[in-house]
Amino acid sequence: MIELAIIATVPLLLAVEGELIVQRAGMINLGIEGMMLTAAMTTVLFGFFGGLAGALLIAVLFGVFAIRLRADQIVTGTAINLFALGVTGFAYREWNDRLAGAVPHVDSSAIAVAAWIVIPIALALMLWRTRFGLRLRACGENPEAVRASGYSVTMLRWSALIIEALLVGTAGAELARTGFAENMSAGRGYIALSIVIFGRWKVKGVLLGSALFGAAAVLQYALQAASRGVQFHLLLAVPYVVTLLILCGIAGRVRAPEALGK
Amino acid sequence: MKRALAAVAVSIALLWIVGIASGHADLLRVLVTGSIGSTFAIEGTLLKSVPLLLTGLAVVIAFRAGVWNIGGEGQFIAGALAAFVAAPLGTIVAIVASILAGALWASIASLMRAWRNAPEVLTTILLNFIGIELLGYCVNGPLQEASGKYPQSEAVAASLPQLGEIHAGVALALIAAIASWFLIYRTKEGLRLRATGFNPSAAHYAGINVNAQIARGMAISGGVAGLAGGIELLGVTHRLFERFAAGYGYSGIAVALLAQLHPLATIGAAAFFGALVTGAGELQRAANVSSSVATLGQAVVILVLILFGSMRSRTS
Repeated sequence: MIELAIIATVPLLLAVEGELIVQRAGMINLGIEGMMLTAAMTTVLFGFFGGLAGALLIAVLFGVFAIRLRADQIVTGTAINLFALGVTGFAYREWNDRLAGAVPHVDSSAIAVAAWIVIPIALALMLWRTRFGLRLRACGENPEAVRASGYSVTMLRWSALIIEALLVGTAGAELARTGFAENMSAGRGYIALSIVIFGRWKVKGVLLGSALFGAAAVLQYALQAASRGVQFHLLLAVPYVVTLLILCGIAGRVRAPEALGK
Repeated sequence: MKRALAAVAVSIALLWIVGIASGHADLLRVLVTGSIGSTFAIEGTLLKSVPLLLTGLAVVIAFRAGVWNIGGEGQFIAGALAAFVAAPLGTIVAIVASILAGALWASIASLMRAWRNAPEVLTTILLNFIGIELLGYCVNGPLQEASGKYPQSEAVAASLPQLGEIHAGVALALIAAIASWFLIYRTKEGLRLRATGFNPSAAHYAGINVNAQIARGMAISGGVAGLAGGIELLGVTHRLFERFAAGYGYSGIAVALLAQLHPLATIGAAAFFGALVTGAGELQRAANVSSSVATLGQAVVILVLILFGSMRSRTS
């Protein structure tokens, strides 16, 4: 059961790690949902690296609008999600036979280890122990200061976005292990967004958050299987309520990156 | 207006290319006949336009106060739930309940902003999920039909008066659009709302209580989204079920942008997307092409409009 929870949470966790970097750099990428969905489809069509490419494509789309054209990030993210939902939904009906089957795949347990242990450590070191990480976080707190000290906010945000795409691409690939289905990301991108808040923009926090959300999801299946269908929806609502309370600073102090979404 | 029409043209052209490229040369023709080609199709388009018009208006109103209301989905559900519960007391009570519930749901976000400075972009998304799970709980639990066969409610106790397939919600939605226009452009409240959205710090120095103004804007916005949920329940579905909201909250953003955030233009924008959705439904039934092309069309319209917007801000 615990093993199941650990494996099942991997796509979500990878997405959370990606969104953490991006938000630390001052962007809210709502389009992460569409990014994961696109990656899932391109994985089934073109393999693991196809998944990464699909995620990168969406990242470029988001970056061109949100970074280059300085469009509103929320609106851009919403548009990207609709776009990905539309394109993958259309393609699914057209190439149903090619998309329904399982894909030969990289080792899931290796990815699980990476997602739960290697990447969090690397992420924490990068964000808090390197100059690059410091500048990245500065983009999220005070982009003017980054500019004034001679670094390019644009380049730093693009690199955050590309790292996110690689992580989310892997998430999509992991999701599509047994084939593609319409809207198969099923809100995981939005959940990832919530977990980043829940984890108060810290690596340890988002790990804990992912574990709790993952446990709640697995528990839901268990309850469904035991046909106590009534309560699991309430159970699923609990993490969101807790996240709301965290945002209000009830469950401890919280401070979002100052320039988030700007 | 020009830009909106150009965005529509681009998205239609793109759908045409998608049709050709995927070997469905008649894609556009089916879209048109399926949405406005017969009385039945036009009725379908009208019915689909109503929730889009209202969620679009909700986005417009909140935007005027300087906030993107992406909580339309949750407010839509809150409205429908309240309408269902209040329906035994009559249609009018149910409609009023849906407006109040939507306003209340949106106000949770503004309260959290005023109280703890929690950004409503994040809180409204979370409230969407809470709304979805709450609805899931209700239709699997306290509100499930007595037979217990499907995760859906009994038929609602009241319904909107109907003329053929068309329900009175069409008129309500049009009234809401005109009322929103009047509110935003012809009242003091609307002036304060626009001032707050246009430049919050200037509004503050002009003596406007910015947080309270945003809260009122969000409440009105949520009320309109809630009304959309109430009308959809009382006029179209007559039952609650898990996927009741069907993305109307998010589509409202596309509608509002196409309308260039003007309440009256929202009518036209909603009609266009309503037609697109209805035509796409027919496309799936008749030609076995996924109805997702409607979603794709919405996305392209938004992206093209952002592109135009950034071009204008660069040249000026």
